[in-house]
Amino acid sequence: MDEEILQDFLVEASDLVDQLNEQLVELENSPTDSDLLNAVFRGFHTIKGGAGFLAITPLIEVCHRAENVFDKIRNGDVEYDAAAADVILRAFDVISDSMAQLNDGARELPENDPQLLVDLDALTGSKAVVEEPAVEVSDSTEPVLQLADGVDPDGDISDDEFEALLNQRDNSSSSSQSSEVSAVLTLPEGVDPDGDMSDDEFEALLNQRDSAPSPVTNTQTSPSLALPEGVDPDGDMSDEEFEALLSQRDSIDSSTKAATNTAPKPAAPVIETKPEATPKPKVEPASSSKSTAKPAAKSAPESTVRVDTKRLDEIMNLVGELVLVRNRLLTLKGKGSSVEDLSNAVANLDHVTTDLQASVLKTRMQPVKKVFGRFPRVVRDLARKLGKDINLELKGEETDLDKNLVEALADPLVHLVRNSVDHGVEMPDVRANAGKPKTGTVVLAAQQEGDHILLSITDDGKGMDPDVLRTKAVEKGMMDEMAASQLDDKSAFELILSAGFSTADQISDISGRGVGMDVVKTMITKLNGSIDIHSVLGEGTQINIKVPLTLAILPTLMVGFDEDSYAIPLTSVQEIFDFNAENTNKIDGQVMVRLREESIPLYFLNEWLASDKPKDDYAGDKVVIVSIGNQRAGLVVNQVNGQEEVVIKPLGVMLKHAAGYAGATITGNGSIALILDLPGVIERFQ
Amino acid sequence: MNLENEVPSTASNLSADDMSGDSAYLGPSARCVLFALDNEVYGIQVKKIREVLRVGTIRKVAGAAYGVLGVINVRGVIVTVVDSRTLYSMPTREIDDLSRIIIIELDEERTVGILVDFVIEVKDIPESKIESLSASKENASRHIQGIAHFQDNVIILIDVDNMFLGAE
Repeated sequence: MDEEILQDFLVEASDLVDQLNEQLVELENSPTDSDLLNAVFRGFHTIKGGAGFLAITPLIEVCHRAENVFDKIRNGDVEYDAAAADVILRAFDVISDSMAQLNDGARELPENDPQLLVDLDALTGSKAVVEEPAVEVSDSTEPVLQLADGVDPDGDISDDEFEALLNQRDNSSSSSQSSEVSAVLTLPEGVDPDGDMSDDEFEALLNQRDSAPSPVTNTQTSPSLALPEGVDPDGDMSDEEFEALLSQRDSIDSSTKAATNTAPKPAAPVIETKPEATPKPKVEPASSSKSTAKPAAKSAPESTVRVDTKRLDEIMNLVGELVLVRNRLLTLKGKGSSVEDLSNAVANLDHVTTDLQASVLKTRMQPVKKVFGRFPRVVRDLARKLGKDINLELKGEETDLDKNLVEALADPLVHLVRNSVDHGVEMPDVRANAGKPKTGTVVLAAQQEGDHILLSITDDGKGMDPDVLRTKAVEKGMMDEMAASQLDDKSAFELILSAGFSTADQISDISGRGVGMDVVKTMITKLNGSIDIHSVLGEGTQINIKVPLTLAILPTLMVGFDEDSYAIPLTSVQEIFDFNAENTNKIDGQVMVRLREESIPLYFLNEWLASDKPKDDYAGDKVVIVSIGNQRAGLVVNQVNGQEEVVIKPLGVMLKHAAGYAGATITGNGSIALILDLPGVIERFQ
Repeated sequence: MNLENEVPSTASNLSADDMSGDSAYLGPSARCVLFALDNEVYGIQVKKIREVLRVGTIRKVAGAAYGVLGVINVRGVIVTVVDSRTLYSMPTREIDDLSRIIIIELDEERTVGILVDFVIEVKDIPESKIESLSASKENASRHIQGIAHFQDNVIILIDVDNMFLGAE
């Protein structure tokens, strides 16, 4: 398999799979939308085409059938009802799974579940029968086609011989456990078995042939005949091509007779090139590599991003500007330049660099649609499973996000949406009794707010009762009654983000274990984001997530100890004030500072960061109050140097996991500032 | 041990050894950067070295492991600097004008800097003159690829991969 072609195929097919995901769910709401049906048909057809080119047999089998189903549907022969949807979605899952495996490095896919193929065929109305050893013979005859004696399967088939094939169909022979691999074919309805056979009918025969698995062993693949490249299954078929198909079939037979457990792909190379007159099928030589279904060693996942050429053009322009400024500075360096000239040039440089930075960052942006794409399906499946009626609305899909963010947010969002469906929206009858519409609504929205992106999940379900939450907190031993009663509603709602907190009395496999929400909180915090929750009992709940647009840039508070600078993430900083020894006292060996009737632990950072210069007198130092999770702490620093947006650079070898540091950055004057990781800092002092 | 004859990636402020006096071909050889710690001469294969820098300001990192001097900024990348003297259990020494930091490329993504007393030269050492260590090894010898006796010098060849194995 050509790796390059495979990679191209995977990129294209992944996009198609994402689209199909959405389209299939939409289709259930509008099953007769012809544009949608055509799009879905084309989707399966294109994937099939690519898979055929790469000879990925199991994929071809499923796509081929799915395509057929949709062909029937768009012609009005078959209806896309709930049952059909279930089968198609199963097929889609198989395709999606295959893509994932190929992306992970597998170069061979396991054989398809024969039942799926049967179900798919059943949708198109073709009566393929699964041959089982003890199956009852149904009324319709199950003819077995064998090439007549004397017919050379490798030679051209004459009309007579073909006629003979058709005639065989008429002879009713009971399905028996012939040791020979035989195909059971039923001519499509309405076809005169003695008349000429059109290509459509032949195609139908092929379809049947594909779907009938061999009765000998269950592990045999249903040999699928890959139509030669370039052949339009609905158009004319030349003798050579037909005969190539026959040879595929035969070669498959011989290889299965040899009782190897390999997936038959011998005819594929033959078909790829040119159907030769005497195709001695080249059984794929590396049978040893096929004897196990172990996927190839996981190739390094190729991470690519699709970039709009318009963005690239912008960058080219800006680079051009940068070159001009550089040239200007070079000229200025030479002759004796005035301060004014220099500062103009520098201002220009500043401007161009800022623009260039923004442009380059934009190339890593992807529309949030990529994440949202999977939700219709998630909600649909979950709602069906729970017996609820839910409508999912997506808003702001075009909002752009850094690629890393997109991937990092996927899981938390899924969890929150599932929560809304599971715990938020009520059962239809409960809703009706409450005077609400039976269909619940969940809105997933994305919006850009300056340098942040705001994601929200809103449902019109039963909302949360802050009192219940307070009680639960006391029950779980998280706090005493006094503390619980002092929590305002907002803080009460935030309780659900704590580990082990769940008000669900029954744990389902979906949610209720109380481990999901705190993981969500952790992941969001890791992204330097924040969550807040609003809820009105009986009306619904809204969860808002705010995440900075790019991961790499962090607004910080720069603090210092003599010449050494450190950066504290600004989102954690609450307030700053002068250190005053009189406001401090020692409780249990820990120095605390009194702040508006609260006692907050103090940590003297220079004990750690400037341990070679110990001091007793901290007058003149500053206290920075930070929030770490649910707690607050005060960090005593020498100087506070103001806010700065910094680019996070990872620390390298031997320092990556050094406690207390989240990375480093290069400041305006070229020196290095270390970025503090607050939880790690506290750990150092414990 | 697979030593190939390779062109050094960069060799700033170093002079390549002039081999004109040594016309006889001595078989395949390894091109190494030689540096000194006190009186010992060490060598690291050139293909593992990205560049050699003068020592500027090393930003100390409080609480880092022993032997980690801190970090430096190499064209926008933060590189950890380790003191080679600590690696070989030698007492540390003040940095002077001759001190250098050798930037080593462990793999495509990981680089680390080693502080050395001074860098001598780039030399091609014939494989025939290199002997691997015998079974009796002391503690630090897992870092050592072999010992070369060449041109009246005893050169200790360092295996940097082993040295930083598992370091993250």
